[in-house]
Amino acid sequence: MKSSENSNECFEILISNYEDIILARQKVKSFMQKTGFSVLAQTRIVTAVSELARNIVVHAGQGKMSAYQITKKRNRPGLKCVFKDQGPGISNIDEAMKEGFSTSNSLGLGLSGARKLCNEFHIESAEKKGTTISIVEWL
Amino acid sequence: MTAIAKEISTLLSEHRHDIWELWNKYLIVRAKSVVEVVGVDETKARTRTLLDNLIHVLPAKDDKTNESYQKVMEVLAKVSRRMSEQNMTPSETAMFILSVKEAVFPVIQEHFDDKKFADAIITVNHLIDHFALTTFEVYLDSREELISDQQNAFREISVPVVKVWEKIIMIPLIGMLDSERTQMMMEVLLTALEDMQSKVAILDISGIPVVDTLVARHLITAASAVRLMGAECIITGVRAKIAQTLVQLGVDLGGFTTCTTMADGLQLALELTDQKIG
Repeated sequence: MKSSENSNECFEILISNYEDIILARQKVKSFMQKTGFSVLAQTRIVTAVSELARNIVVHAGQGKMSAYQITKKRNRPGLKCVFKDQGPGISNIDEAMKEGFSTSNSLGLGLSGARKLCNEFHIESAEKKGTTISIVEWL
Repeated sequence: MTAIAKEISTLLSEHRHDIWELWNKYLIVRAKSVVEVVGVDETKARTRTLLDNLIHVLPAKDDKTNESYQKVMEVLAKVSRRMSEQNMTPSETAMFILSVKEAVFPVIQEHFDDKKFADAIITVNHLIDHFALTTFEVYLDSREELISDQQNAFREISVPVVKVWEKIIMIPLIGMLDSERTQMMMEVLLTALEDMQSKVAILDISGIPVVDTLVARHLITAASAVRLMGAECIITGVRAKIAQTLVQLGVDLGGFTTCTTMADGLQLALELTDQKIG
């Protein structure tokens, strides 16, 4: 977290099955509606949330998503979502971020796509140590 | 504790009828909804059974194999289930058994001295609270059953096939496309193509709130299978925000025919099959 940002935790969702993904999407969507994000931004971020939450279910089995309301200088509000799991982790992040790379018979576009769908994207992972991904969208 | 439990049991047994009447009076005040749902006569019969068995359960303590214990559980389970089905709250449901305390305590207070009274209250509380928690568990269970029933019902209606015109079928996709649902959609879609001798299948995604890579993959799989059967697949309902999101995700639907609205899709399908309306 950068020192110039203030953060306020809004909600936390435990993610372990497909119903939880829907819940995470709905919560993020309604939060963004309330904060005044455009419909397009809502769709982009909710799609990214869907991808990252599903990654938790598919690869780690369980984890959680925490959402924060953050503010930058000049009171510009934003949304930050942190996806954290204790799963197998990613051994080669650069490779995992490539379009078309998949270990689960999917399109391999989820991770690379999620990065393109939001303003800021940060990933931290090590083998057997789990994965933490945070995304930020500014209003 | 066992000695006092026996004493209470004997005491309650002697005043059984008064307690029962008092309990029913309290029920009408404190848990009116239970009485309304279960019915006055049945409430009376149920409370009678409960009280008789509670008196037997007291000396037996936590013996779950005890016949009376099981009888109490059975009655409470029935009542809780009924309450849950009638959309009553769990508090109202728990009040049914909790209100027995108010009828029992005055009797104990009247016949026991102070020291014994405290012990007796703890013993009775312990037992009744345990049963109150049980009603809550049964209530929850039956709620969860209801939810899973509804999910099943929803799944059944979730993939309808509509024959919109000669040789043209349409499948409106709604909600979340999980793998189970996609499997069902594929079966329904391919069977319908064969049975109805259709040449064009329209997959409408207007009702899918989030089109992510998983949904995209399912759509691509379905469209490829349709093509293998020598038919055309048109994906409709690709709104502006979805188009933009898909492009950013890097999903390539370039090889497939897509339209913004169902109307455009239908128009195209008619052209593909050399048909005209009217």
